[in-house]
Amino acid sequence: MRFIALFRKEFRECLPWLLLAGVGLLLIFGLFLQFRERSIYGYIFNLRPGSAIESYQLGRYSELSSIGIWLCVISIGLGLALGIRQFWYGFFTKTWGFEIHRSVSRGSILWVKILASMTTFVMSLGIIWTFIFLYCSRPGGLLIVPTLRIYIEGWIYIALGFVIYLGTALSGLTEARWYTTKIFGIAFAGLVLLAITFQWQIFHAFLFVTIGIVILLSQVIYKFLCREF
Amino acid sequence: MSEVVLETEGLTKYYANTLAVDHLDLKIPRGCICGFLGRNGAGKTTAIKMMLGLLNPTAGRARIFGCDSQELTPAICQRVGYVTEGHRLYRWMSVDRLEKFQKAFFPKQWDDKFFAEMIEYFGLSKKQKVKHLSIGQRAQVSLALTLAPNPELLIMDDPTQGLDAAIRRQFLEGMIQLIMRQGRTVLFSSHILGDVERVADRIAVIDRGVLRASCSLEQFQKAVKKVRVSFTREVPTEIDIEGLLHCRKGDKEIELVLVGTDEKKIAEWTNRSKAQNYEIVGMNLEDQFIEFTASANHKHLFRWEQIK
Repeated sequence: MRFIALFRKEFRECLPWLLLAGVGLLLIFGLFLQFRERSIYGYIFNLRPGSAIESYQLGRYSELSSIGIWLCVISIGLGLALGIRQFWYGFFTKTWGFEIHRSVSRGSILWVKILASMTTFVMSLGIIWTFIFLYCSRPGGLLIVPTLRIYIEGWIYIALGFVIYLGTALSGLTEARWYTTKIFGIAFAGLVLLAITFQWQIFHAFLFVTIGIVILLSQVIYKFLCREF
Repeated sequence: MSEVVLETEGLTKYYANTLAVDHLDLKIPRGCICGFLGRNGAGKTTAIKMMLGLLNPTAGRARIFGCDSQELTPAICQRVGYVTEGHRLYRWMSVDRLEKFQKAFFPKQWDDKFFAEMIEYFGLSKKQKVKHLSIGQRAQVSLALTLAPNPELLIMDDPTQGLDAAIRRQFLEGMIQLIMRQGRTVLFSSHILGDVERVADRIAVIDRGVLRASCSLEQFQKAVKKVRVSFTREVPTEIDIEGLLHCRKGDKEIELVLVGTDEKKIAEWTNRSKAQNYEIVGMNLEDQFIEFTASANHKHLFRWEQIK
């Protein structure tokens, strides 16, 4: 009962961002379908209906890759927005006192927040990304059929958004000044973003994201349990 | 002595090098209504937040129902109502939604009828959103939300701050609703002394982080006195009367503010000083509080032990 109430509250606060991110991604996909032949991939591979595709292009590239970049941008934006909404906003509105003095442990409050944000990521980006992938994979969907690698890359971008979310949360929870340890959360998330941007190996990208999540999550838990409100 | 519900021992808080609360030793027995008084920045909010485990003390500790504030369990939190300073609630929620949210944390204790009555008494609608409420209405919702689960201990941080006289009166009436329930304990900070005088039976005065008094309201009112002493000649240069807080000198008259000095000692001193006569001037709680905490003239800080 208590956890459902907490989750409903958290999820409701995430909802505008969920809708914004989901609609944004769908809108970009709509534009992509409209203008895909004029996209950079279109020019590189001379994509026209009926054009011949070299075999090396198959498997590694697809027009869908250009959506992946936008997915990454939206995911980062969503991570920032959720991190600020859940961990900064309460300090501006001074509602932390009301929120923390509950008949649940602080740990539960934190886990519900994280669960609500994960649900937001999955519902706004994960499900839509899956839909986009399946839509493009159907026969005759795109000239170059998207591979599973592109789909997994999309999920890594979504996980990257979650890293940014945790980094923003950590910076929000840190009481120090910006030029000292407060910047650590966002800066570390930024490093993970850079590492993934220059990473071609999908396994390495997965590894960086996982390490980023583990480090930031442990710090967020520690800060939230010890912090003064 | 009845059971102590809330207790602090040497509770101290530093913000960097600034001492906000200095070795606060306070005991609140069950069933009392304690006004926690102090000027702005005296350390009231910091002390209350430490009592609730929202701030970590630099030294000392606080206990609620015998449980250390830093380790308050959900079960203990369920017995403690907390009204935050400024009545900060989720702006996007309606009163109805806030009720459902709050009720979920007190499934067995929540009194639907009481909440509905309070909302009706305050003339509010459950459909109103918090962001559309005035600060006074927010205070009323906040009080109703805190009282509906019938908490054993109610802690309120400056609950009447920013409210006009009429709303304040309504708010205090609401508070009295809880007080009338047997065995309920209330600690509320305020600097509106009229409110304290109306409802409190005990006060704790904090000044620049130091607890200066903790006693019954009646004892405090008896202890802090203003005495006007007239002389036929010039007033003495040295005033050596016990419990002197302030001294304002005129040509042939002095005004003394004393704490804990009984009338016998005043009479002795006036005889010794060859005063013509003296008169004890009536003071209300506000005057007493201002004199008690004024920093300009007094030489000593009077610890509560002197007047408890």
